[in-house]
Amino acid sequence: MIAGLNEPTEGNILIYGIPNKQALDRMGYMAHAPLLYDELSGMENLRFFAQLYGISSDAPLTKAMERVGLDPKLERRVGQYSQGMRQRLSLARAIFHEPKLLLLDEPFSNVDPDSALQIATLLAGMRSGGATILLVTHQVGLLANLADEYLMLSHGQLIDHGPMTRGQA
Amino acid sequence: MKTKLFFAFAAFCCAFLAYGTYQGLVVAPTEETMGDVQRIFYVHVPAATVGFTLFFVNFLASIFYLWKRSPQADALAATSAEVGVVFCTVVLITGPIWARYAWGVWWSPWDMRLNTTLMLWLLYMSYLILRRSSSAGSTSVLASSLAIFAFLDVPIVYMANRWFRTHHPSPMIGTPNLDPRMQTILFINMLAFLCFGTLIAWFRYEMERTAQKINIAHVQRAAGGAAGMLLLPAMFFATPSHVNPHAYLWGGYIAAWGIYLGYLFFLMSKLARLKKEAAEVEAG
Amino acid sequence: MSAPFTKLAWTNVSKDLRLEWRSRDVFNSMMFFALIVVVVFSFAFEREDSKPVMGGLIWIAFLFSTTMALNQSWARELRNGVLDAYRVSPAPAEALFLGKCLGNFILIVLLECLMAPLFVIFYNLSSVGPLWQLVLVTLLGTWALVVNGTFFAAMSIRTRNRELMLPLLLLPISIPAVLSMVTGTAQVLSGDGSPNVQLKFLAGFCVIFTTACFLLFETVLNAE
Repeated sequence: MIAGLNEPTEGNILIYGIPNKQALDRMGYMAHAPLLYDELSGMENLRFFAQLYGISSDAPLTKAMERVGLDPKLERRVGQYSQGMRQRLSLARAIFHEPKLLLLDEPFSNVDPDSALQIATLLAGMRSGGATILLVTHQVGLLANLADEYLMLSHGQLIDHGPMTRGQA
Repeated sequence: MKTKLFFAFAAFCCAFLAYGTYQGLVVAPTEETMGDVQRIFYVHVPAATVGFTLFFVNFLASIFYLWKRSPQADALAATSAEVGVVFCTVVLITGPIWARYAWGVWWSPWDMRLNTTLMLWLLYMSYLILRRSSSAGSTSVLASSLAIFAFLDVPIVYMANRWFRTHHPSPMIGTPNLDPRMQTILFINMLAFLCFGTLIAWFRYEMERTAQKINIAHVQRAAGGAAGMLLLPAMFFATPSHVNPHAYLWGGYIAAWGIYLGYLFFLMSKLARLKKEAAEVEAG
Repeated sequence: MSAPFTKLAWTNVSKDLRLEWRSRDVFNSMMFFALIVVVVFSFAFEREDSKPVMGGLIWIAFLFSTTMALNQSWARELRNGVLDAYRVSPAPAEALFLGKCLGNFILIVLLECLMAPLFVIFYNLSSVGPLWQLVLVTLLGTWALVVNGTFFAAMSIRTRNRELMLPLLLLPISIPAVLSMVTGTAQVLSGDGSPNVQLKFLAGFCVIFTTACFLLFETVLNAE
């Protein structure tokens, strides 16, 4: 809903005071599906999506790929990537334009523990850099040292929320 | 929903229709060339008027829905399309019956009005099928967009028919010189059928609103016209001269009323099912 | 903010062309399909008896192939949810639509370039009227089908029987345009009359429906 993919039944959503549909250039979104073209290579995918955000140079794309732990020069098509690589490239697609708000849906699913830790560290870095990150996950343990606040939902209702204390899992 | 007003209006419609039909079948003067079969005219033309009016309503309701996203507008759009298709079906069935007798052909490819009606029928049938096949959340928006396209197409179809087919001789299905008495009776029938159409549409609209509230996405939508097709097997294969002309007249009236009554029964059964589902939602 | 509109549209087109070039699955099968269609028609409709209906025949074959080709227009976007990625980007949806239409248009025109010579061969066709008129009728008619077809293909994404919905929605709306294309083609082939009226009609049809498609595409894309 925040990204504008669904309409709320009532009310509206403001991000930094701007309606969500107009703040899309400041948002990064990563979903369950990889949101990538199978027939293009990693950089080609990023270059295409970069055009949608008005970015024509390769520099931020290379940087994003390196941050998620992928080789920018890899020519292999995304269709032949492993699941973990696809997940990482999807994350790269969400962060290359340095969004102020990052929306992540299960970023740690299907990823091995080392990569998961790498991603968590990357996210912590972004948070320290001033970004706001909204993350949905079932693996609470990974966020023990990362999150500032948590919200717990059950059957669509908010049942608990509050600041995250160190070591809480 | 079923207020006293509705029943009063229904009674009024029945009376008005009875009067109009009586006028059309008995009082109206017999047309010279076509004889009594011409009386189908008093069912055929009003059906066309009501159908086209309802499609226009659908257009307005769809635009309003896209603007304001009001569920009432969406219900009105769905209703007017469905009831409009029913009336359109009547036009498409009574027209060929009449034409077969009067001009010897079931269909004239160059008759502008029949072709436009057929096009409309196709367009709004595709609208109904889209409503039925689309996923729950997207139905209203997709259907409203299609309705706008469909209505944009109407004048285009009309012009296309006029420009591209007029060099053929056209046995136009119509009565060229209309006796003023016939005109009055036609007018009476048009009004009567407009009231009837409004009545059905009102009923159907209430059902649609109920269904919306129960949030049943799988409410069946089907054109009642299919039922009418079953009513006329014999006549298709007899040449005009061997069949008593009155058979065409009665065939036309029976077809028209068969479709209307069939549709009403269909709505009744749907209503019964809706009530059952509403009770389940209350309980569960 | 995102790149200027035309640049975005061009990005989309070049991406589609590149994707197609990499896999060539659509292109190969569509070309072969076009060939099959012409051959079947040539068996079904005898040469001599078909002279009066050549215009209609050619356009039915084109319609058939066009519908098949348009059915898969959005397939790649749907496969990995890329359409959602587009929706959450600041890029305007109309640029995506224009890119898609242009890509489809190029594909269909290529198909027609293959089918037309085949028709000429099988039916020993020759055009009495000027060829440029025939080309113009074909181009305008193709755009009319492509723009509406791409739009309805996007609508069909959210329906149950996707492949069936496209022709179901496209054909009724396109009937006036098809009538115009057929009449125009017949007139040029037989030299009997000038297709100027058809050309104007087709141009008008294209303008009206292209505008409608552009205005409503974003609504339809976000219909959820």
